[in-house]
Amino acid sequence: MSAIKTFYLSRVLGSRIYSPELDVIGKLEDIIVDISYERPKIVALKLKTEKGHEEFDSGPFDLIKRRGKYYLVCKELKPINLSKINHVYLAKQILDRQIVDVNGRKVVRVNDLRFAMIPSGTFLVAVDVGIEGLLRRLGLAKPLKFLLKPFGLSIPSKFMPWDEVEHINLPNLSIKISSPYSKLLTLHPSDIADIIEELDRNSQIDFMNTIDEEKAADVFEELEQDVQISLLENLPVQKAADVLEKMPADEAADILDDLDKEKAEELLNEMEKEASDEVRELMEYPENTVGSLMTTDFIAFKKEMTVQQTIDELRKLKPESDSIYYLYVLDNDEKLLGTVSLRDLIISDPDIKLVDIMNQRVIKMQDYDKIDDLAEIISKYNLLAIPVVDNYSRLLGMILIDDVIFTLLKSRKRKL
Amino acid sequence: MVKQKTNFWKKILIFLAVLGPGIITGSVDNDAGGITTYSLAGAIYGYKLIWTLIPAFIALVVIQEMNARMGIVTGKGLADLIRENAGVKTTFLIFIGVLIANIGNTATEFAGIAGSLEVFGVSKYISVPLSAIVVWFIVVRGTYKSVEKIFLIFSLFLFVYVISALLGKPQWGEIGESIIKPHVEFEFNYVTMVIGLIGTTICPWMMFYLQSSVIEKGLKPDNYKYSLWDVVIGSIITVVIAFFIIVACAATLHVNGIEINEAKDAAIALEPLAGSFAAMLFAFGLFIASIFSACILPIATAFSVCEAFGFEAGVDKSLKDAPEYYTIFTIILLTGMGIILIPDAPLIQITLWAQVANGILLPIILFYIMRMINDKDIMGNYTNKVFHNVVGWSTALVLIILSVVLVVLPIIE
Repeated sequence: MSAIKTFYLSRVLGSRIYSPELDVIGKLEDIIVDISYERPKIVALKLKTEKGHEEFDSGPFDLIKRRGKYYLVCKELKPINLSKINHVYLAKQILDRQIVDVNGRKVVRVNDLRFAMIPSGTFLVAVDVGIEGLLRRLGLAKPLKFLLKPFGLSIPSKFMPWDEVEHINLPNLSIKISSPYSKLLTLHPSDIADIIEELDRNSQIDFMNTIDEEKAADVFEELEQDVQISLLENLPVQKAADVLEKMPADEAADILDDLDKEKAEELLNEMEKEASDEVRELMEYPENTVGSLMTTDFIAFKKEMTVQQTIDELRKLKPESDSIYYLYVLDNDEKLLGTVSLRDLIISDPDIKLVDIMNQRVIKMQDYDKIDDLAEIISKYNLLAIPVVDNYSRLLGMILIDDVIFTLLKSRKRKL
Repeated sequence: MVKQKTNFWKKILIFLAVLGPGIITGSVDNDAGGITTYSLAGAIYGYKLIWTLIPAFIALVVIQEMNARMGIVTGKGLADLIRENAGVKTTFLIFIGVLIANIGNTATEFAGIAGSLEVFGVSKYISVPLSAIVVWFIVVRGTYKSVEKIFLIFSLFLFVYVISALLGKPQWGEIGESIIKPHVEFEFNYVTMVIGLIGTTICPWMMFYLQSSVIEKGLKPDNYKYSLWDVVIGSIITVVIAFFIIVACAATLHVNGIEINEAKDAAIALEPLAGSFAAMLFAFGLFIASIFSACILPIATAFSVCEAFGFEAGVDKSLKDAPEYYTIFTIILLTGMGIILIPDAPLIQITLWAQVANGILLPIILFYIMRMINDKDIMGNYTNKVFHNVVGWSTALVLIILSVVLVVLPIIE
């Protein structure tokens, strides 16, 4: 007989519970933790007693191991009101479920849970996601270890500390998680997207619903197309429209193109007029034209502006990093005259006009040009972006090199 | 956004969007094992067994409808749900069964590839390793998704069996009679054949596959009616093709008293009776069905095992990211291929044992499906209605009895 400091959930489920007088009270069915702690604290036990299934405030308890079997001795069992506690049923809601491994950036399955007992209580410290946990559940871990030992082999075990866990997959969503999905949100949107793709559809929707539009749009852009479509169809219309508004118009147009007409129209109507008009315009371009790929988020200045005015304007606009490298110079009819670089602005005299320092030999494309030629031109002239004009040389938008690469990757995948 | 040959691809994509998971599953369901069983049934019993296709059809629709509904409502795969609701031990046992059964099934597919190409004069020692290499590359290089679409178009070629059957000039009167007045015998071989027919139509891996494709398609509860039709049409395809294979063999082989052992014998025997064109069509259909299933079976199995035990999985994952997934896939493929390459491999026994493994699994999985689909925590408002439950449980019960008989019969023998 020995007292235990750490233990696994799988080993104690089904164990007998004793009163201090060593009367059998019942069998352990589930452990309930308070997840507002950094490491969830055990607050209640669900027992199967003669009267049925009941939850009790566990208070401090002793765990005793005798001949390989575990017994719980509870000092006193009080009825508990769980409605005020941010609680989770571990066996029902966490064990065997999928959780997100924030550091490993993937979705794993909970094979077992590990607790630590300290004087202030018993806490959930780690999640077992390894083979050893599986074998322990099957009752094979010990015999196998015994067999492997003479050969100097061991069973690979894998634990995740609880603070690297994100329990997205809670089946009962009325439970409030203290800071929803916060750990996940520290990752790069592209990594978050990879994780979301692994989740089941309902969890994907819940997740996107929880985060704010700005972040949702960033993540959404990085998702695979089929996930994007399924999300747009399943998210509340308002949320879906908000996300689309925050996205670059060209990407929103891409996605809406692939939705069915009715749904796309519904979303466009829900979006703010300014954003949806832009998207609608882009959607009119046939798929193999340059226009369908361009973004309308570009920065352009009138030729009469001075270098100082331009820099002031840039400070005000605070453009995203991908659009700041190419600044376009227009005449009064919106016609594209030339480009200036940040370098040009910095080294020039503040009072000089843009028209005098701009580079006039602009490589550009027309909106109805074929996409096939685009990659060639971009690589031939080593461009990071290329402006798109209409028949009258009026600037309509620009195409960024990432969009070109993305398109190439997509068409290559399709050809395979 | 770049879509060269836009119209062509777009048309195919729309076409596939209309097709859907039920129809794909329905086509894949007529794999090498299925074609073999139908051929044998037609050759030995003529039109007598055609009536079995009706209960097989009902069972197929009932079970697949439940799978589709579970996929739509939960957004989770069947393996996922079993793991979350049945616990580790049951899941482990089920998946040991799934692995064994599907290695056997994969071997049957390779037997189909070997047999069909032998009709065209290609040795199995060339055709089997070559097709295994092709299958491995298709899956590991991540081109599986596009290949699936191509195969789907190919699977339309399964309708060659309709032509094969018509070339044999079947007796429509007799066919009609056998459906209206089912002929039931309680002779051992007859019963085994009936069970074999229903067993090959309803197999466990099909349930995993259908549920996953419903999810992948992103169907939602509003789509339920559409999905039901999809399942019904898929089941009709399965049964119609089965019907014509039986008819093709019954009209030619049975009438002339020719005995066959496997599907390729049927193709060879068809030649003098229905012309070499019919024979080649039969063999071609067998080849397409076999290689399609040889791709899908190992990958679907590996996927559901990984889903259940929390390993990374998916055709878009690299070898490095999902080692367990590709290891399981490769083992299934290699073992399936290896069995067929053993000289004088006991093919009939292998098919039989694969069926027995399927037979043991089917009632267990059905039991859990029935339990989960009635669980409000899982299905919300979409649990079974009384009608569903009556039809569902009686289907389950009949299949359980059939499976028990199927398992016990060879042991008694």
